[in-house]
Amino acid sequence: MKRASELRLRRPAQSQYIAPIRHALAAFLEALQVDRELRDDVTTAAGEALANVVEHAYARSSGRAARSVQLIARCKDGGKLLVDVSDQGSFIRRKPLPGRGFGLRIIRAIARHISIDTSRGTCVSMTFEARSAASKS
Amino acid sequence: MNSNASIKTIRLCGELEIGRKSEIRDALSRSGEERAILIDLSEVTYADSVALTELLRFCVECQRSGVAVALVIKTPQFARVVQYAGLASAFKTFDNSEGAVAYLSEHVQR
Repeated sequence: MKRASELRLRRPAQSQYIAPIRHALAAFLEALQVDRELRDDVTTAAGEALANVVEHAYARSSGRAARSVQLIARCKDGGKLLVDVSDQGSFIRRKPLPGRGFGLRIIRAIARHISIDTSRGTCVSMTFEARSAASKS
Repeated sequence: MNSNASIKTIRLCGELEIGRKSEIRDALSRSGEERAILIDLSEVTYADSVALTELLRFCVECQRSGVAVALVIKTPQFARVVQYAGLASAFKTFDNSEGAVAYLSEHVQR
């Protein structure tokens, strides 16, 4: 994996912005020469965190709140990829319901580590072990 | 969307994600006459948990009505996300439409 800079995007927390953010993340990972399978998995996990923001983060907010979502992706020495998805909304702890709640399960299945900070809005921090296409060949 | 008297085919393509939730829900519908439904997802390039939730809701509904459902999933991302969500046993999935049709035909002939 190439060392590279950081991807930082902030967009309105609306469903039509999620796919473009995912596509930008996929392009960033491709530029880092992250292999296809991991690239797809990382964008899948990030997509779940982004979708959670759209569905839940601002459900209890008044109209004046800045309803945005931010994604920051960066690579670290040692081949780790870090992706943070954050909002300024309210974290709502829900009871697990049958047939729901697959997003977090998917993130946990993909990410090496996940932490959720709810002190100011919600920030989902995901860590992935990077594999580069170059290192496979 | 194509249908015949016994097996109906519903085809969804592209990225199945939160922005298409209503479209997915609208596409996953029954007329009430079919006995089996093939959901052709072979050209889906990405699926998220919102899409999986809609598919699961539809499959459970069909199961309660005695309608068999088979999913054709070809893309690796989609196949993996079903596994990651722990839904591998919730869906009857095939990697080709021939297998899905054979399975559904057997159900229809019972």
